[in-house]
Amino acid sequence: MSAIIATTELASSRMRVTYRTAGDRAILIEYGEQFPVDLKINFFVHAAARHLDEYGVRGLLEVAPGLRSLLVYYEPHVLSQASLVSALDELHQEIPDPASIVLPSRRIRLPIAFDDSTSREAVNRYRISTRPDAPNVVEGNNVDYVVRCNGLPDRETLYSTILQSEWWNAFTGFYPGLPSLLPLDPRSEISAPKYNPARSWTPEGAVALGGPCLVIHPIESAGSYELLGRTLPISELIRRSRSHRVDPILIYPCDRISFFRISEAELIELRRQVFEGTYDYQIEPGEYAVAEHFTAVQDEHVNAEAIRRRTDRDAALELVEVP
Amino acid sequence: MSSQSRTETIPALEVLDPGLQTTVQDHPGRLGRQALGFFPSGPVDHLAFRVSNILAGNGPGTAALEIPLGGFHASLLSDGVIAICGPDVDVTLNEEPIPLWESVPVQAGDILHCGLIRGTGHRLYLSLRGGIAVPTVFGARSTFLVAGIGGHNGRALERADVVKVNVPNDQQATTRRVPTSLRPSYTNSWEIEVLRGPHADPDFLTAEDYDEFLSTCWRCDLRSDRVAARFNPHRFRWARPSGDIAGGHPSNMLDGSYPLGGVLAYGDTLTILGPDSHTSGGFAVIATVASASLWKVGQLRPGRDTVRFREIGLQQAAALTEHVNRLLDPRNFETR
Repeated sequence: MSAIIATTELASSRMRVTYRTAGDRAILIEYGEQFPVDLKINFFVHAAARHLDEYGVRGLLEVAPGLRSLLVYYEPHVLSQASLVSALDELHQEIPDPASIVLPSRRIRLPIAFDDSTSREAVNRYRISTRPDAPNVVEGNNVDYVVRCNGLPDRETLYSTILQSEWWNAFTGFYPGLPSLLPLDPRSEISAPKYNPARSWTPEGAVALGGPCLVIHPIESAGSYELLGRTLPISELIRRSRSHRVDPILIYPCDRISFFRISEAELIELRRQVFEGTYDYQIEPGEYAVAEHFTAVQDEHVNAEAIRRRTDRDAALELVEVP
Repeated sequence: MSSQSRTETIPALEVLDPGLQTTVQDHPGRLGRQALGFFPSGPVDHLAFRVSNILAGNGPGTAALEIPLGGFHASLLSDGVIAICGPDVDVTLNEEPIPLWESVPVQAGDILHCGLIRGTGHRLYLSLRGGIAVPTVFGARSTFLVAGIGGHNGRALERADVVKVNVPNDQQATTRRVPTSLRPSYTNSWEIEVLRGPHADPDFLTAEDYDEFLSTCWRCDLRSDRVAARFNPHRFRWARPSGDIAGGHPSNMLDGSYPLGGVLAYGDTLTILGPDSHTSGGFAVIATVASASLWKVGQLRPGRDTVRFREIGLQQAAALTEHVNRLLDPRNFETR
């Protein structure tokens, strides 16, 4: 039996859709091609997930997005794999072109302290306990390594690259509430190889880069992304009385995050306010029209600059040692 | 987070020795939240777990204890009924042996002692009549150790913990026993049914690789736990040179959500994603354990047992589900 159930093409956008068996209670739908990372496809993933949720196929239990895929759980007593795939194929044709998709998307502003002492502590523990000669550890931190990987002149350029773009939560997963963020401004695309082997301790609130995704650690945990700094707690899984009054998970899929820079001392003060329940997160409800993204990306100067930076990055990545 | 405040609860047992890592679980666990990063948690062996609940007179979704390796010792604090299911092990009540796979009436003051599992199998399940009373957290009572939520304060049981149960609102349950012929059999060398994919041959693995996956006898690593059953490293040829932007190894791909029971190629190491696993990532899932066979993963003894994977299709998977449902049908139990 082949793992691929069917491959079809959307009539409107010619996007390829691949249906794969994922056990007897789930299928995995993949959109577009394996590579590269394409935000347009991720917008379509979320439009599809919402459409499936709203349409409510009988026997469809749960939908979980990825960067370019959807995992769909179903109840095989109620719905056979074949009828699920044909129902999905029909539903896919009803989803509008990426350019006319509008998704619910909040704007959340978070402070960030770059190269903070807790991140350094995590890097140092890794150096001592796991790998003393890790090429991604330069002078007790990962920041300088990430600067090199992206062919940037200095740390300040890396920081401003992160600060100048809004970051799109392409999906939530790995740990509860962990967002995987991609820049909406293509000039802010950055990437870095991951740890090898993994790091056994990462502080809660750590902001880290692995592959093309920026993540925020919701809990103290293992990790394999390069540590860049720290922000506020983004989950409140164990509820205390006043903090996170709205939701135990701060960042939902499709939310847009922007960072503002503060010192470590200021961050510690803000984190204290969160724990005391006196801090109000900066959250602005809203929607995101994907057309906005197309307009921005099609700007000649933006596009030229994004391509220039991508070329620099590819060249730089050839020169760095991969862990 | 809703609490159990509407139902009356009573203290049911006090832990004298919790054993290796005894946790409160419910089935099917924390479903419907994978898009927010939650795997379901719940018992690794759903079969023995559910049978023990039926024997104790509990409905589906009731919380009970998962006891890996045995070695659990407790003082019972109220009258009731208990049931223990799982591999063969010496269990005593006030130093008198009691049977597994059978409802056992107990009285306040009784001392329950489960020995260490020395033969085949790895996890015991202890259900108490009424079900363990812990708050529902994100839709389930299951303990999720990685995030420290659910179950008894988000952690494994410790010495001197007092576990409460709900007071059942109906009369004494029928005393039942699972006939020996219906009980699952445990072994040191398992055969686990899987479905091919989502990322198998020909686009990820070569046909030769897949044959090798099915014919190899895999050793369950000592580091296996509720997060994952891990196996010995093995180098596949792979049908592609690298994972491109997603990473250097050909098992790398752009991140997606993983299915429960997925057989993940984490570089050169195969693992089966357990109920406490991470929900997504950038590695190929080359096969997925049939839902009716997932219970076997819960009985793999780390560091000792071996596994062969047997490929089945959807129809065979449906037949296995029917078979498991028959084991879960109380009409097939003996009553006394």
